[in-house]
Amino acid sequence: MDPEDDIYYIGQVLEGKINAFAYLVDKHKDKAFNLAFRICGNREEAEEVAQDAFLKAYRSLKDFRQKSSFATWLFRIVYNTAISLVRTRKNRVLSVEEFPADAVDFLGLNVSDEDAADDYRNSLINFALQKISGEERGLITLYYYDDLDTEEISKITGISRSNIKVRLFRARQKMAGIIRKVEMKNVFLP
Amino acid sequence: MNNREMNDEDLLRKFLNPEKIERAPGGFTTKTLTRIRIENRSSVEHDGFFARNRVPVISAVIIAGLIIAAILIPAGETGSLGSEVWKYFRDIELKLPGLNLPKWASYAMIGIFVMGFFDRALSGIFHKGKNP
Repeated sequence: MDPEDDIYYIGQVLEGKINAFAYLVDKHKDKAFNLAFRICGNREEAEEVAQDAFLKAYRSLKDFRQKSSFATWLFRIVYNTAISLVRTRKNRVLSVEEFPADAVDFLGLNVSDEDAADDYRNSLINFALQKISGEERGLITLYYYDDLDTEEISKITGISRSNIKVRLFRARQKMAGIIRKVEMKNVFLP
Repeated sequence: MNNREMNDEDLLRKFLNPEKIERAPGGFTTKTLTRIRIENRSSVEHDGFFARNRVPVISAVIIAGLIIAAILIPAGETGSLGSEVWKYFRDIELKLPGLNLPKWASYAMIGIFVMGFFDRALSGIFHKGKNP
């Protein structure tokens, strides 16, 4: 992915060629959607958030000063849109007992199946993500899924680098605790 | 990082597969572009006649005002503000070598120049925030 391409297509969009924006959407949609999904926790809201973010980006494209890459700028919009959404809804606290039964059942049955093991890990991670705050979910996603450094994450979230490190530490600690609890529960399952 | 932190980090890395990202649903790009097109169209439709034609409307109002003023201000009358201003323009004569222009031509040229200036200024003000 060449950021130079983004600049070229941004120029085209600013000249009034809306179709050029399709390139930018197509290129960044998966990462934008993933960030929205991890923060919101469900696909419907994530799609809404990602679409809203692209719409906001389109409207404000003339204000994009290229101080950062288009991706960073876009992720900032996705992050803020998703965080605003989760702040407005009441958070339901999930208990470890609510971890999907089929994922738990899998443990004893299909451990050898690598795909199924991957699915199990993924659902456990999604479950653990739902137990931490929206901001923390965003940080975990940007750090682990998008492999961004704290400086880049700071540009996206507006949180200082030192604060990011502290929050990542706490989020990691919480998630690891949840994963251990679920694993323990599965070990002692009748 | 201490041992506990290392363990947490390792555990998370073991469970979290960065390649297992949630991909955008099919048709996402088309849906997004459709929303953008609809919004673009509705924003143009929501702008009323005046909003879409601010510059020519304001220019027309000013021209109409000037014409009405010219008709209503009696020639040669003194004492009013209009006539005071008028007296500066009254004796303007445009002379080009080898060309004898009628007196009204000088007024017309000044009018065109002033309105042209107005148009540029208004256009600059109202189209400032718009996309190139």
